[in-house]
Amino acid sequence: MDDTLSGTSLKKSFGKSLLYSLPMILITFMFISGGRPDFSNPSSALAMMITFILVNVLYFLMHYTGKTDKFRAILFIIFALSLSFTLISNMLEMRNSMSFSQADILECKIPFCHLVIPMMILPAAFTKSIIFPGSILGSFAGIASMVVLWLVATLVLGRGFCSWGCFYGGWDDGFSRIRKKPVIKKISDSWKWMPFAVLFMVALTSALSLGPTYCDWICPFKAVTEFEEVTSVASAAKAGVFISLFAGLVVILPFLTRKRTQCSFLCPLGAINTLSNKITPFTVKIDKANCSECFKCVAACPLFALTQEGIRNGKVSVFCSKCGKCIDACSRNAIHYGIKGVPAGTMKKFSRNLFLFISFLFMAVFSSGSIVNTFRGLLDLIF
Amino acid sequence: MLESFILGLSTGSACLLTCGMVMFPYLMSGSSGVKRITIDLSVFLLTRMLVYALLSVAAWYLGRAFFTNQVVRSVVPGILYIVFAGMLIWYAIDRNRQKNCPAKFVTTVNNRKLIPIFLGVVNSLGFCPALYLVLTKGASEESLAGSLTAFLAFFIGSSLWFLPLPLAGKIKKKKILETIGILATGLAGIIFIIKGLTSLIGGIING
Repeated sequence: MDDTLSGTSLKKSFGKSLLYSLPMILITFMFISGGRPDFSNPSSALAMMITFILVNVLYFLMHYTGKTDKFRAILFIIFALSLSFTLISNMLEMRNSMSFSQADILECKIPFCHLVIPMMILPAAFTKSIIFPGSILGSFAGIASMVVLWLVATLVLGRGFCSWGCFYGGWDDGFSRIRKKPVIKKISDSWKWMPFAVLFMVALTSALSLGPTYCDWICPFKAVTEFEEVTSVASAAKAGVFISLFAGLVVILPFLTRKRTQCSFLCPLGAINTLSNKITPFTVKIDKANCSECFKCVAACPLFALTQEGIRNGKVSVFCSKCGKCIDACSRNAIHYGIKGVPAGTMKKFSRNLFLFISFLFMAVFSSGSIVNTFRGLLDLIF
Repeated sequence: MLESFILGLSTGSACLLTCGMVMFPYLMSGSSGVKRITIDLSVFLLTRMLVYALLSVAAWYLGRAFFTNQVVRSVVPGILYIVFAGMLIWYAIDRNRQKNCPAKFVTTVNNRKLIPIFLGVVNSLGFCPALYLVLTKGASEESLAGSLTAFLAFFIGSSLWFLPLPLAGKIKKKKILETIGILATGLAGIIFIIKGLTSLIGGIING
């Protein structure tokens, strides 16, 4: 076993990496092709093939190089971009516009996203009704399927959902990687509690107004998905808020700080996922015996989950999204994926293999539909 | 109504966390169990409600006197919202904010029965940006009932925080709760800045 592994590489040989990738190859083939590859539509078949190869090459490289975040981020960012592409193209197809009207709301035609979940809980408990004007069992972004997917993911991955399952996270993750060094280096630790304040506000206001207040007034991703038709000063103000928050928290601040500021300072679902980190079996552990206290991991962490004091005490906070950036930054493998109950520094490879398989499989399956759609759309545009 | 409730709810947390530790011992001192605590807390909350009711009436009459037409009724509150909401945000981010409770003077009151009433008056009249905002809202309401409702919602929102006061000593992570409360106050400020801008622009367009 790898119980004695200390400061050694997580790299694997070509053959071993391929062997570890086989289950992923088989499962993603089934999901992407639906079990029966259809070659009647060339652009569709090509899109599926590109997605299949992309997903599996990235997973293979995770094993082959021993690096996690580098390859996770590629799929994560493509996922975010492709979701917006798919959503916008769907909106244009259905309504000829990115904005929705009051009629769309009355007909429950608004696509559901997981960020609504924190607002649904109280109204659903007290009034037995869903406050979101979407379709419960609809095939495209239906409420039931999204809630079940999120629930399973958050119970298994905890806040790992924010780095392996969220189809918005790739936006600020992407912008946080553009600069090599941050311009703004010191950010008060207190700001990481902001999502809890937002969660508190939106949960209660949604319960009182019986409407999704976060979607109505705050969500920065409205700027890249769908938004209310601008027909009044209030709707113009909303559009202004969406665009300002997107520009500030998703583009400018991540670019300047190299941190995922939207996820760290605003997202109310992130707050819930932080709490679920306490019950998930997977965690990130610090092997104090190998740690040289260089704090490269602290600087690398995009979600303020690591502090120098925490590293000295061998503790990773509940804000960790298990993205693997700190693990990639550590040359001594002193920080690693772990399983709760298993001592730090032991079963490093086993924990990593198990976590990567589950989390990457979730991301691959969850993202493949929109990535295929995006590639198909792009191929149709080009040819 | 919802905005006033949010305002009360968000600022109530910060208010409780700065004043709670001063008020708690006085509300609870010499208490003989839950009954006594409940009576003191009820008197305190009732006093607050009465003061807010009086303020709502005063604000509405002042609003009628000064906000003479529909445009002024949009533009002036719009400006006031922006200014007071700015003050509220400043309160939230100011590292040197007043950490002492304005109700500290009750330590000089000898009559114990009067303490909850004094605390209720001081707490509701502790002029802070949140109260200025709800006063502006009360003044810009069309009807007296609207003004009363706004203050009632503010009262309910802020009072929710006082209900678990007897358990205050058992809360472990006070610092984290205080931080979340302060951040929520800042968020409420942002909401009112947007409301102020909307009202101001609406007033200018209509004017």
